[in-house]
Order: sequence, then C-alpha cells, then structure tokens
Amino acid sequence: MASILRQFAKTLIAPTARNAVALNAVRFKSTEPAEVKETRPTVRKADIAARAQLKDFGKYCADCLPKYIQKVQITAGDELELLIAPEGILPVLQFLKDHHNAQFSNLVDIAGVDVPCRTNRFEIVYNILSLRFNSRIRVKTYTDELTPIDSCNDVYKAANWYEREIWDMYGVFFANHPDLRRILTDYGFEGHPFRKDFPLSGYVEVRYDDERKRVVCEPLELAQEFRKFELEAPWEQFPNFRGANPASEEVDIKKTQK
Amino acid sequence: MSQAAKTAARQVKPILSLNKEEARKRVLNLYKAWHRQLPYIVKQYDIPKNIPQCREKLREEFTKYNNIQDVRVVDMLIIKGQMELKEVVEVWKQKGHIMTYFKESQEPKPKDFISKFLAGVN
Repeated sequence: MASILRQFAKTLIAPTARNAVALNAVRFKSTEPAEVKETRPTVRKADIAARAQLKDFGKYCADCLPKYIQKVQITAGDELELLIAPEGILPVLQFLKDHHNAQFSNLVDIAGVDVPCRTNRFEIVYNILSLRFNSRIRVKTYTDELTPIDSCNDVYKAANWYEREIWDMYGVFFANHPDLRRILTDYGFEGHPFRKDFPLSGYVEVRYDDERKRVVCEPLELAQEFRKFELEAPWEQFPNFRGANPASEEVDIKKTQK
Repeated sequence: MSQAAKTAARQVKPILSLNKEEARKRVLNLYKAWHRQLPYIVKQYDIPKNIPQCREKLREEFTKYNNIQDVRVVDMLIIKGQMELKEVVEVWKQKGHIMTYFKESQEPKPKDFISKFLAGVN
C-alpha cells in the first residue's frame, strides 16, 4: 500500500510528459466528447447536464405529439425549443401545462418575429416556465398575414394581452380571443409597426392645427429612399461571432419503428 | 379541374367567412351598423358635419375596397372595421380621430399642368 502511495506521489511531484498524456487520455475518455470548454469570463456557460435532460424531454414530447411537433432543437447551449405546426398550438401548450412531468404552468411571454422572405412570414414564440421543475421551454410556430392562429387564452390567462400586442404590432389574427383590439397604438392608427415593411417614419404625421383648434392627421411625404426597405442591417453586428458555433442544434426525433 | 388550377387553389384556413356570399353579408351588416350609429356620432363627438355628409363619407370608406376579391382579405377588413366601430361607440376615439376620415387639412394634389407647375411638382 505504502509503495503504491509513494509511486503515486512520485508521479504527482515529477510528472513526465508520458504520464501527462496518459492522464489526459483517461480524462477525455470519461467525459462527453467534443465539448469545447468555455473559458471567456463574459460568456455564459451552458449547463451540460441540463442540456442532456432537455434533449431527452424534447424527444419525449416529440414522441407524445408526433402530429404537431416538427422539429426539436437546442439553442444557445441549453435552451429547448419545440417547433410546431400552427394547428397544434392548443394541444401542445395544454400538454406542456398539464403533463405531470412538465407542469409548464406559467406563460412568460409571447413574441413575434417577422421574416418577409418566408412563405409564412411571421413566427410566434411562446416562452413558458415550469415553476415546479425550474425549467423553461420555448414553443415556436408560424403563420402569414391572413391565416388565423388559435388563441391560447383558454390555456393561459396571461395570453390575453400578449396576443393583443401581437395583433397590434404584426396584424396576426387570433381566433377565439375574447377581447382582441389594439393595445399600444393610437386609435385610428393604420398599419402594423413591427412589420419589416413598415417605414421607420410611419405613414402619417400628427400635429396641432391652430386654425381648427384640434389635432390633425396628415399623410407623410415618403422620400423615395424610404420606400426601399433594407431588411438587413448595413453593418455586421457581431463580427466576433463570425466563426461561432451555429446558434441552434437539432435534436434527432426520428420515429423508431416498432 | 386542371392540374394548374388545383395547385393554385390552396387549402386555407378561413378567418370568418367560408364563401363570398357569407363575406358579403358580413360587410352589409357592418355597413348597417355604422349607418345606424352615424346620428349618435354626429351628436356625441360634436363634429362640424351633418348626417348626409357622414353617410357619404361612410359610403366612400366602404367603396374604397370595391375591387377586393379574396374572402380572407375581406374578412380582415371586416374585423378591423368592427374594431373601429367599437372604438367609436365606446367614445374611446376623440373628435380629432373622427375628423381624420374627412381629411380636411389635406390639400388635394395638383392634377393639371399649370397647378403642378405652380406647386413646383413635376
């Protein structure tokens, strides 16, 4: 026993190059492969353990709801996203809310994204939180200007104002919403300001008319360059991330034949 | 139906109406609702217009969209019109918002040569 200890101490005190290589090899074998350790102090470290669990949960959801879930992906290292068909928004959210192993009972936010080059140009993003398991998940779906989406107000009461906001900003209609009307823009406002083809200056300008003693609303003369919509930013926002890893990583959800 | 027509007629989810007839009925209902509201609008908002002028404007606002054929676009316009009517009925709007329809402060764009020349527009 003592000799073994002495041997070990000797290698610790004077590790030869050969020993170091051997130790490294052992360590690599015992951990997950191909994970680059994040050492930069300003970058958030992804939680590897949580990530494996989220992958499993994503696969489980895809197995339970194969009709609606089209893709499961992990973004930003450890955030799970379910990409679903728009018909499935209610069943998926109800499942995530009421399933005993999920319990995502809290709707944090509903967001919209406008990508004009796609056929279904709007993306609707539901961020939900499970207080029971301290976990978050993101559900994404898609629509266009004229396709209504089912309102999830019956599943999450919090959805009421968020859906009004999406309606106001993007013009996506939510079917069966109890009180769908404008929430942020002024009465009589035309257009949906968060659409990419909405000019920065808007279409009208409002001023106080001294002669009429009231506020009047007049159309704006749009200069020709305002009519050209540059949908991409003219500069590169994050040049340091040019060679970075892809933001999302797809989780394999292929159906296993039984 | 030919193959091209089949692919063109995509299956879409309806917003409100299933066919043109239904959409037409909804438009007429909305028009009637606005029409009945006009006397109250004139009275409540104290606008410097009389009822026939308002009727003319209402007609103009509806006939602006005469050429729209797509049922879903019509439905979307009906929904927006309905929301606007509610804003008017509940007096969420103010006098200025109502008077915006009449575009009184906007000068008509010059059309013939001499007025364009005087306005300095090509």
